[in-house]
Amino acid sequence: MASLQAEFTKGLWKTIPPFRLVLGLCPTLAVTTSGINGMGMGIATTFVLIFSNLFVSLLRRVIPTQVRIASFIVIIASFVVIVELVMQAYFYPLFKVLGIFIPLIVVNCIILGRAEAFASKNTPLLSLADGLGIGLGFTISLFTLGLIRELLGAGTLLDIPVMWASFEPFTFMLKPPGAFVALGILLALMNLITQRQAQRGGGR
Amino acid sequence: MRAIVRMVVVLTLICAASGLTLSAVYRLTEAPIDYQIIKFVKEPAVKKVLTGYDNDPILDRKRIVIGTDERGNPRELTIFPAKKQGKTFAVAIEGRGKGFHGTIGVMVGVSKQGKITDIAITSHSETPGIGSRITEPSFTAQFQGLPATGEPKVDGISGATYSSRGVMSAVEEALGYAEKFREEMF
Repeated sequence: MASLQAEFTKGLWKTIPPFRLVLGLCPTLAVTTSGINGMGMGIATTFVLIFSNLFVSLLRRVIPTQVRIASFIVIIASFVVIVELVMQAYFYPLFKVLGIFIPLIVVNCIILGRAEAFASKNTPLLSLADGLGIGLGFTISLFTLGLIRELLGAGTLLDIPVMWASFEPFTFMLKPPGAFVALGILLALMNLITQRQAQRGGGR
Repeated sequence: MRAIVRMVVVLTLICAASGLTLSAVYRLTEAPIDYQIIKFVKEPAVKKVLTGYDNDPILDRKRIVIGTDERGNPRELTIFPAKKQGKTFAVAIEGRGKGFHGTIGVMVGVSKQGKITDIAITSHSETPGIGSRITEPSFTAQFQGLPATGEPKVDGISGATYSSRGVMSAVEEALGYAEKFREEMF
């Protein structure tokens, strides 16, 4: 039970993608122009991650090692198409915004990475916890990044104007270079916190 | 040898299961997706090209068969009628034309008197800032009031000749449908 919890929580800080694993940067930088977009992408990825982890883990003894990558890709691609169709059917405006990045979840290295490094070696329950943790971490990262870029780039939070009237939005933050800058600052902040924690631990 | 057979069998089974699942999901989501596209893409265009109606053109939309494709399946066209006191006085029809980058979809309003009421671009993938100017009112407004027959004569956008021509051929296609299936429409 303890390890189940450990597998879940490690995705939230210790190996939080995209900051700690620095995987899946393409959707991270491309779609986080607003909080909602980031969250939508994160939830879509989480769904695919949970189910691909579960099925890869269930089939881990059946799939011969020589064709494992092909099998993983088929499993992942199936869930991505399901997400794409469901999103198109029920969340059309979000689908329009995320566009090509939904089908591109197939080649998101976080998902294939978890299938290969974790789910193909662990039990379904642990893989489920791992998928949920990493997915949630990814969602939180994208949501945070989206909020920061939306606040600075458009002066709104979740489409509600929050800045003072004379605030001039930095449209730069909504462009891809702005995404790199925001990502870099967040990464630096996280490293600072980790460093502080390590120092405090050492002093004890 | 046994390993190879196993590889083939496992991969085939996984792919087959995936195919089956996806076809089921596709069937389930087909109708809602159609509805969403009509609601978010077609509806604003229809509302723009038709005016003065007292019905709901989206609700009253009908499909007419316009021929068969290469497999012999019927090809259908969705038309959106604008009615006043139950009488159709104009319809919105979508036509397609080849632009600079792929297909341009144009919703064309045609009145019973044989005039173009207005046009609206429903889909395009033209170059942003150049070809994408076909969506600007200064270009689309030129079509208002033109006779709904043959090729429409308007000024193209300089620097975006192919995109402008794509819109014109899309309008021409829609007008062709309007002429050919006049009885079914009005």
